[in-house]
Amino acid sequence: MAAGVAAWLPFARAAAIGWMPVASAPMPPPPRDKRRGQDGLIILNVSGTRFQTWLNTLERYPDTLLGSTERDFFFHEETNEYFFDRDPDIFRHILNFYRTGKLHYPRHECISAYDEELAFFGIIPEIIGDCCYEEYKDRRRENAERIQDDEENDNNKDMVLPDMSFRETMWRAFENPHTSTMALVFYYVTGFFIAVSVMANVVETVPCGSGPNRAKEVSCGERYALAFFCLDTACVMIFTVEYLLRLIAAPSRYKFVKSVMSIIDVVAIMPYYIGLVMTDNEDVSGAFVTLRVFRVFRIFKFSRHSAGLRILGYTLKSCASELGFLLFSLTMAIIIFATVMFYAEKGSTATKFTSIPAAFWYTIVTMTTLGYGDMVPKTIIGKVFGSICSLSGVLVIALPVPVIVSNFSRIYHQSQRAEKRRAQKKTRLARIHAAKSGGANAYLQYKRNGMLAEAEEEASKQAGQALVCKSNPTFETQHHHLLHCLEKTTNHEFVDEQTYETSCMEVSLAKPSMSRSSSMSSSPHGLSSCCTRRNKRKSFNVPNSNMVAGRRGSIQELSTIQIRERPMSNSRSSLNAKFEETVPLNSEEQSYITAAVISMPTPPVTTPEGGDSSSSHNFLQSNIVRVSAL
Amino acid sequence: MSSCRKRCKREILKFAQYLFRFITGTLNADSVEDELELSAARHRPEALEQLEAQTRFSRKELQILYRGFKNECPSGVVNEDTFKEIYSQFFPQGDASTYAHFLFDAFDTDHNGSVSFEDFVMGLSILLRGTVQEKLNWAFNLYDINKDGYITKEEMLDIIKSIYDMMGKCTYPTLKEETPRQHVEIFFQKMDKNRDGVVTIDEFIDCCQNDENIMKSMQLFENVI
Repeated sequence: MAAGVAAWLPFARAAAIGWMPVASAPMPPPPRDKRRGQDGLIILNVSGTRFQTWLNTLERYPDTLLGSTERDFFFHEETNEYFFDRDPDIFRHILNFYRTGKLHYPRHECISAYDEELAFFGIIPEIIGDCCYEEYKDRRRENAERIQDDEENDNNKDMVLPDMSFRETMWRAFENPHTSTMALVFYYVTGFFIAVSVMANVVETVPCGSGPNRAKEVSCGERYALAFFCLDTACVMIFTVEYLLRLIAAPSRYKFVKSVMSIIDVVAIMPYYIGLVMTDNEDVSGAFVTLRVFRVFRIFKFSRHSAGLRILGYTLKSCASELGFLLFSLTMAIIIFATVMFYAEKGSTATKFTSIPAAFWYTIVTMTTLGYGDMVPKTIIGKVFGSICSLSGVLVIALPVPVIVSNFSRIYHQSQRAEKRRAQKKTRLARIHAAKSGGANAYLQYKRNGMLAEAEEEASKQAGQALVCKSNPTFETQHHHLLHCLEKTTNHEFVDEQTYETSCMEVSLAKPSMSRSSSMSSSPHGLSSCCTRRNKRKSFNVPNSNMVAGRRGSIQELSTIQIRERPMSNSRSSLNAKFEETVPLNSEEQSYITAAVISMPTPPVTTPEGGDSSSSHNFLQSNIVRVSAL
Repeated sequence: MSSCRKRCKREILKFAQYLFRFITGTLNADSVEDELELSAARHRPEALEQLEAQTRFSRKELQILYRGFKNECPSGVVNEDTFKEIYSQFFPQGDASTYAHFLFDAFDTDHNGSVSFEDFVMGLSILLRGTVQEKLNWAFNLYDINKDGYITKEEMLDIIKSIYDMMGKCTYPTLKEETPRQHVEIFFQKMDKNRDGVVTIDEFIDCCQNDENIMKSMQLFENVI
């Protein structure tokens, strides 16, 4: 709960008088005020810097170090103060959290030092206020990445582990060429051959002087066909060998084959093999020529050798939406202006604007301010629209381009950050919500532990089961009493989500088959078993200690649960009777359970068998209901 | 007809202004943001001695109360939204806003839309240190939503519904639609002696004083502070 709210509890309790006249049941007695007049100043000495605050301030958060009895470990008798050997500068923020309910993150502090202090004082970082949360998460992520990078660098510098298989060594050599000399040699050789292959592709189209028995010029490729063919063969052989080696060495072949680089490899060498297969066939020679175009893809193989190309490729991919929008807006503008120009120039004679698609070319050339001049408008209105077209072209093209360029890095970082923040936000909100519902669940737990029973029976049972004086702060007990009063007023009980759903389900099932009493009795037991399970979750000692019979075999069984029903002779007394005997056993776990327990829904387990012995005389009928766990 | 013409004129003027701003490039001039001024900005309560005299709290108790109050509302007054927020935090499972609204009306005795520390402490003084008669009076005032001196069935239904809303969904036994109405019927059966459909203050006080449970529960919160 927020800080100041604890101070308003007296008001909320006083306002409960408004429920009294309409209450349908008598109210429970209030809890004894155990610590009256204990609102004193408390001195916290943190490495010499003295902080002072009210005791009540610290007790607002009983699940932290300062708010619980854990601080007694730091009490210093000689000076009558609490001494902490920690950083006073960061402690200031932690103390402010108690005072204001908001935790702030100081920007100049080191993130890991801050985290350590938070962990020491038992405060979860998720409650950092919105003003500082983003900064905190960013710093944390940077820190984590830096640690990760350092680890990766360390790993890369590792010597080859002796037990790495040959395959793994090969893969490592391919991915990190600087690990061994062989890998480096291979790296440079492939690079060289890529360059040679690309140069050969370029040069073979250059005219090389006329051949001896021909009139026109021939390209070098046709003149020295054999040489070029040999060169091509050598390159393709090297590329094929490299590809096959990579394929063998890849840890996941399927993933390797799917990757972009391998596709580029395949596309680079395919034309050669297809050409080998399809020689001397005049019909498909046209297609064969087209295939040779794909040889230019060999230049993309350089991206393995250049990190810059990889980054460019990745950023283009991530900016795809901006590029797409640019294309779309250009297309729209082109269509509009082409239409306008076509109709404007329709009247003039011998015009080149024969159709709208024909006008597309003019529009593109004008909008990109190229202006070849092969198509020009002749009419005045055509010229007017032509000038508007070129002006708008400047706008349409020149504006998004710098934005895209600057968006490259910004969008890249931003999209990464936005997604992480969204994921964090979900988990963060979920945890805060869970902590909040922990407050409600704390009350349910409180009920099950028979605190209320204790208060009710106190008058009659003077021989104290010296129920351990709970270390629950006064605020908790009073708040629970308030909720109890509300229950009495409305004659309904608070239950948790799960049992509500099961009771809903049962009520719908129960009408034809079971009697009303049995359905009513099922849920409280479901509750009790629910809660005992939750109790056990947080305790450090072995669970099931509160089960007298110690039956723990079925805890592990998650598929079905048995809820044994007992007839409810009178509504509360049998429950109380059962709770009372479990309370002393619960007591040792009480100190571990706090209001901020984040209780995950766990499947209820069998009811404590210890209840059997006491209420066996009530056992007239028992129906076992099987409810399958979630 | 003339109003139409006036409207046309106004529209044309607006368009001309727009065109002018379009040409000169001042289209998106920042409109002056209205500063959201907290109207009831600061409130300082009366001196401690005066409050001590007017209420039945001791000096120390007033100090503790004020510290908590000021912490949550630094400006010195609570407006209805803050009030609802604070009260809702005590009932996480349900929706306490409707009941908080009624409470706010009950505390805000001068009906100025905000609860100052004096209102707060006066109300608490009645609730915690008042006589039974005063407490019952206060409760009647709470139920009487329009403050006309009679509690009608509709008012009672609103109040009871808001109390049940605080329980939320997950209750045992499950809340049904007619539960609040039944509750109202029971209440009216008990309280409305002359069966005229409304409960007056005298009927209310009479009936409550005869009911032992209610009397006992009125003493419940004596030692809250």
